[in-house]
Amino acid sequence: MENYTNNAIETLDLPKFESVALSPLQAAYYKVMLLNVSIFHLLLAIGAGCAIYFIPQLQLYWYVPVSIVTVLFSISILISRVSFKRRGFAFREHDVIYRSGIMAVTTIIIPYNRIQHVALHEGLISRKLGLATLEIFTAGGNSSDVKISGIDKAHAEKIKQLLVGKILNQHPDGE
Amino acid sequence: MESSFNIPQRQSLVGIVVMFTDTLQKLIRSLWPILLIWIFRLDDLNKLHISLGAGVVVVLLGVVAYLRYYNFTFFLDEDNDEFVIKEGILNKSRIAIPLEKIQQVNINQSLIQKIIGVHALEVDTAGSSKKEVAIKAITHDLALALKKRLLESDKKVVSIENTEDVANEKQGTFIQISFASLLKTGITSNYARSFAVLLAFVLTVFQNVEQYLDDYSISQYVTAEVLLQFIVFIIVGIIIITLLINLIRTILKYFNYKITQQQNSLLLSFGLLNTRNTIIKPERVQMVGVRRNFFQRKIDIQDVKIKQASSSDSSSKEQQKLAIEIPGCSENEKDTLLKFILGKIPERGVMLKPNIRKVIIQTLFFLIMPLSIFFTFSYLNISMLYDYGVYVPVYSLFVILLIYFSYRNNRLFVNNDFIIKQSGAWDIDNDFLAPHKIQAISLKQYFWHKRANIGTVKLYTAGGELSFDLADYTKLKELTNYWLYQVETTDKNWM
Repeated sequence: MENYTNNAIETLDLPKFESVALSPLQAAYYKVMLLNVSIFHLLLAIGAGCAIYFIPQLQLYWYVPVSIVTVLFSISILISRVSFKRRGFAFREHDVIYRSGIMAVTTIIIPYNRIQHVALHEGLISRKLGLATLEIFTAGGNSSDVKISGIDKAHAEKIKQLLVGKILNQHPDGE
Repeated sequence: MESSFNIPQRQSLVGIVVMFTDTLQKLIRSLWPILLIWIFRLDDLNKLHISLGAGVVVVLLGVVAYLRYYNFTFFLDEDNDEFVIKEGILNKSRIAIPLEKIQQVNINQSLIQKIIGVHALEVDTAGSSKKEVAIKAITHDLALALKKRLLESDKKVVSIENTEDVANEKQGTFIQISFASLLKTGITSNYARSFAVLLAFVLTVFQNVEQYLDDYSISQYVTAEVLLQFIVFIIVGIIIITLLINLIRTILKYFNYKITQQQNSLLLSFGLLNTRNTIIKPERVQMVGVRRNFFQRKIDIQDVKIKQASSSDSSSKEQQKLAIEIPGCSENEKDTLLKFILGKIPERGVMLKPNIRKVIIQTLFFLIMPLSIFFTFSYLNISMLYDYGVYVPVYSLFVILLIYFSYRNNRLFVNNDFIIKQSGAWDIDNDFLAPHKIQAISLKQYFWHKRANIGTVKLYTAGGELSFDLADYTKLKELTNYWLYQVETTDKNWM
């Protein structure tokens, strides 16, 4: 008890989460995003092609579906570019920071001592490129969980070990 | 009374009645469209067949109810520290709940259970499994004994608990909400909902009346005075009816609200037809809300809402349901509750206001846009709409008042121990959150808010979220850093 102090804390001197340099996702992950967008629009284009082929009335106006698909495709590419660039993460001493968003930039911060568990996912294409997705769960409901895609597999594995270690250290009595 | 739960046992025999009504209810619920058709065609059907069919159904239901009773057993597995329930007629299932996972044990009583004198015991776990375990018919003594045993593993020191128990039993009731407070609450709450009901009703009635007048062209007999009287009569009538409904609902739900203290938790029991029993443990409480409107402030009552940690799967709607409401608390009672649950009465710290843009955006969406649409259409020679022009000032005034008060009341107060969010236009909510209950913090900023330097902060807890919109972003970042510091250095657990 005699060592107990309760001095005022200078909130301005606290470490700032906003000045942490966030690491970007692996460049290879952009390929995965592009591929996903392309597959979706390829299906869309096939649909449009079938429509033009089978509906004679539409053949006169073939440029309408074609331009719609093209515009959608280019917008999606643009969005995925912005989305990819915006995403970033950092693992600090006591918490994890993840930034994402297109129109709005959302930064979510989870202290390690509030993490419930951690999951590591690998998609089919991501696995080929050596990427993994790290998902961090808290007790704060689905919207407070963080899902970081496009991390190098070995790196993700290491982070997971670190987090699991932190979680175990936080609850020495097995709580 | 020392009951042994080591050997599997069945529920009370009268529980068959509960099973019967429960099965009947399920059957009706799944077959109601067919039943409805049959009821309409009752005359065409052979009476003998109907009574025979009904008889067969009743017998079958009885058999099912008996089998459900017969196959339902529960016991405490001392070796594995598990509470085990076996149930099912054809598909047998065995549910085992580790004792340390049990969060809460509620003893409830529905109307039918009240009549035959049994209670229901519900076990709430922290796991993500949504399936709630419930024993539907159990005597009160047995339920209490079982509840005690189930929650025992929480506090390992049994001897101390017993002595404390005795001491606390003498202490008796902590807070009791009087019937008068319930009356006051019933009359003064839920105005928003009542207003909506009122509006919908008046509009439909008005439409029908107009149609009626048109049809019979008796409008020349109806003077403006008579019509006005009629409308006033209707409105007053509806106000009285909605108030009555609110009142009855409140009394039925919260009749005889008793809060007793036992060790470190509060025992709550309330309800007229369906009696609910539940526990509040301060360490499980994530957020506390206090709601009060202008009238309620004048007569010193308020609703306290306690949000406890729920399983992570549940949606926000379910969390709303899980929140425990204590209506009609006086200022003193509220303070006693807050002190018990939060450790001390929260004080307001540094104040944060939302940006004036909030007013501008709301004015745009709820005033300028609807009105411009209205005026455009009436300009475009839809003369019908001109008649409704009288409502424009009423609507505008109403919206302006709402926007003004919701802006004025929207505040965030932060001090070392608590975060208090105040919000609402008519019903003013105050949500209290202790920083160590925070699970995660998110900050959000739209790109068009960058230059104004405003953003939104959201604090996630295991009992729901708390968000504050359009505030000074620099200040929010500073606060976020501070809250993170608090969460990361605290030795208090969130549960």
